[in-house]
Amino acid sequence: MDGIHPTGPAARGLAWATALYLVLPILIIVPVALTDQRYLSLPQDGISFQHFRTVFASPEWLGSIWQSFIIAVCATVLSVVAGTLCAIGCWRISRRATDLVRVLMLLPLIIPSIVYAIGLYRYFGPLGLLDRFAGVVIAHGVTGIPYVVITVSTALAAFDPRLEQAARGMGASLSQTLRWVILPRIAPGIFSGAIFAFIHSWDELVMVLFIASRDVFTLPRRIWDGINENLDPAMAAVAVLLVLFTTLLLMADRALRRRSEG
Amino acid sequence: MSAAGHALALRGLTKRYGDFTAVDDVSLEVAQGEFLTLLGPSGSGKTTILMAVAGFVAPSAGSILLDGREITPLPPEKRNFGMVFQGYALFPHMTVAENVAFPLRVRGLSRADRDTKVRAALDLVQLGTFADRLPKQLSGGQQQRVALARALVFDPNLLLLDEPLSALDKKLRAELQEELKALHRRVGRTFINVTHDQEEALSLSDRIAILNHGKLIQSGAPGTLYEAPRTRFVADFLGKSNFLEGTVQGADADGFVLAAGPDRLRVRLPAGSAVPAEGSRRLLSLRPEKISLLSDGEAADNTVDGRILAWSYLGAGFALRVATPSLGEIRAVLPAWQAAIAPAEGLPVRLGWSADAAVPVEDDAP
Repeated sequence: MDGIHPTGPAARGLAWATALYLVLPILIIVPVALTDQRYLSLPQDGISFQHFRTVFASPEWLGSIWQSFIIAVCATVLSVVAGTLCAIGCWRISRRATDLVRVLMLLPLIIPSIVYAIGLYRYFGPLGLLDRFAGVVIAHGVTGIPYVVITVSTALAAFDPRLEQAARGMGASLSQTLRWVILPRIAPGIFSGAIFAFIHSWDELVMVLFIASRDVFTLPRRIWDGINENLDPAMAAVAVLLVLFTTLLLMADRALRRRSEG
Repeated sequence: MSAAGHALALRGLTKRYGDFTAVDDVSLEVAQGEFLTLLGPSGSGKTTILMAVAGFVAPSAGSILLDGREITPLPPEKRNFGMVFQGYALFPHMTVAENVAFPLRVRGLSRADRDTKVRAALDLVQLGTFADRLPKQLSGGQQQRVALARALVFDPNLLLLDEPLSALDKKLRAELQEELKALHRRVGRTFINVTHDQEEALSLSDRIAILNHGKLIQSGAPGTLYEAPRTRFVADFLGKSNFLEGTVQGADADGFVLAAGPDRLRVRLPAGSAVPAEGSRRLLSLRPEKISLLSDGEAADNTVDGRILAWSYLGAGFALRVATPSLGEIRAVLPAWQAAIAPAEGLPVRLGWSADAAVPVEDDAP
C-alpha cells in the first residue's frame, strides 16, 4: 500500500464496524458452546466442555458428521470434474455461445436454493433418489459446479495461450497438453474451486430438508432438528467445530494461492 | 544432431479474416538449410504466414509443401517443426531441463535418452549448468536460449522463430544475433525467422522476404535487397533512402539521364537491366551513405548545391539534412573522419554521387 493516502478515522471506523458485524454472530456461538447450563445460553458460573464431550460421545452426531463429510467429498469430486471440464471447454471454444454456457452454469448460484430444492424433489421421486446418499451427492455436486467454473475460468484467463501452442507445436496431443501444461498451471484454481464446492455441500441445509428424511441425515440437518426440538447446547459445540473446520479450509485455500503467486 | 535441412514451399498462400485479407497470394521457396527472414511492418501478414507454416492458422487458399509433400491439412503436432515464440512461452512450472525434455517426453523417449539429448541441447546453447533452474530465475537472454534448445532438441524439420529477439535490450540483441547465426551454421537446419527489425534481418538472413499489406513485395539476399530494391517500399523499409523523381531523357544501353527540374541526373544501370522508355516518369532511390560532400573543384557524376537544414552527430558519422532548390530535401550520412567541414545550419554545401549510386524503383508507396 505504499504511496496511497492513509485512510481517515471515519473510513477506518466504518471498516472495523463492518468486520465486527460480520464476525460477531459467529463468535457468539463460542461462549454458548462453553456454557455450564443445560440449555442454549451464555455461561453463568463458569465454562464447561461437557457439550463437546456429548457430541463426541453421541453416535447420532458422529454419524451425521461422517455422513456429511463423505457426501461433501463425493459432491466435490463431481463438481470439480464437471466444472473444470466445462471451464476448459468454454475457454478453448470461446465463442458467444460459450459465454451463454458459462452464465447457465452460474444458475445454481442465482436461483434461490428452495426453488431448486422443490424442482429436485419433483424429479428425484420417480427416479428413486429421495433420501438416498446418491441423490444428495448429485444435488450438492451439481449446485457446487458454479464455484469451480468461476475459479477455474479465472485461472484460465491468466493462462498464456502461447503455452498451449508451444506444447502442440512440439508434438503434444490434446490430452498430453491438458495433463502436462494446462492442468498444472490451473491447479490452484481447481483446488480453490474444490474447497468452495466442499464447503457448499458441507453446510447445505435447504435441499437436504426436501430430498432427504431418515436414512440421509447430514450435520446441518441435525443442527436444524436440534434447534427445533430441544435447544441442546451441543448444537453450539457442533457449530464451533463447523466454523473451525471451514476456517481451516479457507486458510488452506489462502496458503495455496500465496504459494502459486509466489 | 544430424544436419538435415528440409525445403519448404508456399504456393499462393492466402488467409482472409472476414473482409480482411491478412496474407494475399504469397508464393515463396525456402531452400534446404537456408535462413529466411520474413520482414515487414506490423500488420504485414508475416506472423500469419509463420503461424500457417506452424499449423496454428488454417490458410483460406493455397498450400504449404515440405520437400514437395503437401502438409497444409496437418495439425501442428504432426508437422515436427520447432518453434521459438515471441516471449519464449517456456512452461513456468517446469525446470529448464524439463522444458527442454518436453518434446521428447511427448514422443515417448526413455528417461535415459531424454537426459542425453537434453544435456546435448543445453550444451549447444551454453546453458548446461542451469538445468535445474526455473525459467523465472533466468535472464531474458537465457530464457531465449532455453527456448532455442527446446525447439531444436527433437530434430525438427524446420525451426520457426517469431520475433525471437524483440524482448531483449539492444546490446543483448546484437550478441544473440551472433549466437543465432552461429547456431544456424552449426545445426545446418532450415530457419524461418519473423521480425520487423531490418537490422536483425540484414545481419542474420541468407535471404529476406519483404511483406507489406499481406503481399510479398520482394525477396532476395540482404545485399540484393539493399542495393537493388524493386519498389519504394523496400528501399524505405530496409534502411533509409532519398527518393528523386523525374522524366527519362537520353536513354542508352548504359543507362539514362533523369530530368528533375533543371537538374540532369546521370544513372548507370547494371548490365542486362531493362532501360526505361524515353519520356517516362521514374523514381530513383538514393541511399544517404552513397552521397558525399564535395570540396571546391571536386567532380562527381551528379552534383547538387544546397544548404544544411539540420544535422546530427551519430558517433561514427554525421547525418545531414540538406535543402536543395530543385530536388527538395536530401538526407546524407557522412563518416566523421571524412567530413572536411564542421557542419552548421545554413552552411552552403555541394553534394555529389556516382552514376551507379541511385537505382530506379517502382513507386508503390501511398
